[in-house]
Amino acid sequence: MPIHEIAGCIGCEACVKSCPTDVIQMDRERNKAYIAYPEDCQICHLCRLNCPVNAITITPEKSIPVMVAWR
Amino acid sequence: MSQDTDLSRRRFMGAAAGGLLGVSALGALDLNAAPIRNQPRIDPDDFTSDQTETDVLVIGGGMAGLFAAVKAHDAGARVLLVSKGRLGSSGLTPFAKGIFSYDESTAKMSIDDFVAGVSESSLGTSNPVFTRQLAEHSKARVDELKAWGFFDSAIYHNSFMRPIEQRNIPVQERIMITHLLKDQGRVVGASGFSLDENKIIHYRAKTVVLCTGSGGFKSSGFPLCDVTHDGTIMAYKIGARVTGKEWNDGHPASAENSGSCYDNWHGQVEEKPSITSVDIHHDLGVDLNYTAYTQGPGGRMGPPGGPDQEGAAGGPPPMEDEAASGGPYVPEAFRRKGPPPMPPKDEGLLSGLFGGRRPEGGPPGMQGNVVGGSTAGMAIHKSEGLVPVDETGLSTVPGLYAAGDALGSYMSGGIYTQVGSSLAGSAVQGAIAGEAAAKASQKVNTVGVSTSKLAAVEEEILAPLKRERGYSPAWVTQVLQGVIFPNFVLYIKKERLMQAALAYVEELREHHVPMLLADDRHRLRLAHETENMIITAEMKMRASIMRKESRCSHYRLDYPEVDDENWRAWINIWQDENGRMQLEKQPFGTWPA
Repeated sequence: MPIHEIAGCIGCEACVKSCPTDVIQMDRERNKAYIAYPEDCQICHLCRLNCPVNAITITPEKSIPVMVAWR
Repeated sequence: MSQDTDLSRRRFMGAAAGGLLGVSALGALDLNAAPIRNQPRIDPDDFTSDQTETDVLVIGGGMAGLFAAVKAHDAGARVLLVSKGRLGSSGLTPFAKGIFSYDESTAKMSIDDFVAGVSESSLGTSNPVFTRQLAEHSKARVDELKAWGFFDSAIYHNSFMRPIEQRNIPVQERIMITHLLKDQGRVVGASGFSLDENKIIHYRAKTVVLCTGSGGFKSSGFPLCDVTHDGTIMAYKIGARVTGKEWNDGHPASAENSGSCYDNWHGQVEEKPSITSVDIHHDLGVDLNYTAYTQGPGGRMGPPGGPDQEGAAGGPPPMEDEAASGGPYVPEAFRRKGPPPMPPKDEGLLSGLFGGRRPEGGPPGMQGNVVGGSTAGMAIHKSEGLVPVDETGLSTVPGLYAAGDALGSYMSGGIYTQVGSSLAGSAVQGAIAGEAAAKASQKVNTVGVSTSKLAAVEEEILAPLKRERGYSPAWVTQVLQGVIFPNFVLYIKKERLMQAALAYVEELREHHVPMLLADDRHRLRLAHETENMIITAEMKMRASIMRKESRCSHYRLDYPEVDDENWRAWINIWQDENGRMQLEKQPFGTWPA
């Protein structure tokens, strides 16, 4: 998994706004952020660094196969 | 079909579908199930449209956009800044940690020598007007950034907001601009949609400054998955000339967790930015790609005896030590014995973009094996984008300016000649374009676009939501990556393979782009991004086929030599009246005819 878990969210939306690839959305009913599109996470950690309560866990593996120029 | 082929095909299809459905669905996927028709989760008929008006519209929320907005305001214009992401948190800006600053009082090199040195390293590909501009203005921009608190935090949003709030400049975030509007031969605004609500917004503007960055093809291990050449392609569609598509940024990724930007860069995003030196290099072209092509993968990028190799018996030696004969030409004065050295503590790293201070970390490969193409689809910073007609970044379309990575300024040419100059160049060019756009706005009366034209734009924006059948953007992007990314197509170039790739790309543009699907606003964004990447891929192949020589970061296996007789020229690309892509040479040191 890339962005793995949001636990203890206070609903400030900092992660939603700071994610360059629009991976995180707000659940308006629960007023909590959730991981909507993990396959588009570029694992840059801006969401985690912007979270004021350190609620976000990220792991280094992509959830879809990675295409490179050579391996 | 053999069993093996069938199996690999099924795996590929499963993986592609996973891109659309998310990994959780992958395990449960029935590979034999019929494709389902598009079932949008939002109703395209629910979209409302708004119109707003300003003097100068700045598109993009990175370093160039910040300075364009501030300086256009200070020159007396009404300004509006619109960004696909958050100010200071989108594009490549949030990850760039080194910024170049030329201080005349302490520099060991005169500006004339600096400009000449950049030209020598870049084999004439640099535009001395923009190289000089960088040196002359960088310190003033860096001093302003210092005053706004830029150097006090690893996260840039707050310091970027400081001058914006002081001036009450309106900022609209999470809006994807998809179209530039043109009327009577000049740009008159832009249109796009909100990522947060069912809303299309039309911006009427007297001038527009594109600060949309460049882009890649959603490659892995480099944080450019949100930059997809949007500005370049929307400008191309209204007649702007575009340049620089044959150059390649040569950053590799770490072999381990190649898709993680954070781990590839050893957490450098958590560092505060710092000022880099003005030394001139010739770095990060496709030398590593050439070595991997001729000798096979398995190399490293790190210095001999570096921290990763001490005591690592049996590990492969650094790639640069094995450098094969031939390969990209490096001017004598810029050759190194062995790989580029690790920088001293207060110097930038090797990257033209990410220079910073992290001696224990460093770029991908500093601590292990590398794989290729982490920036696939991106050229050398400042070498690709709109063709300028003068030093302000005015494009070939009246009223339309570009700055930073959206401008093909050739500030450092087709190779990296400094560390940290990309970020500084965006600041310098943004400021100059913003001020010029503000002045030009004073000469423009009201602007408008017909209602029928706006309705046609709205139809194009929403089309992927309205289609019942078609292709997922994630799948089309994966096909594009599979065609373009291989080292023997994008980097170590030869005619036959590029023609083959071009045929695939044309098929994607002609038949698949008109059938891209979206079921929500996120995938509507992906659909438009995918189109922009495909048109860019066509430009990259056509420009690379046209340049029958090797120079800087463009390497042809079938034309390995620098050809000064025929190729002291940039390549400009534009769309003719029949919608066909055309290419032409523009001699080095000239402006477009």
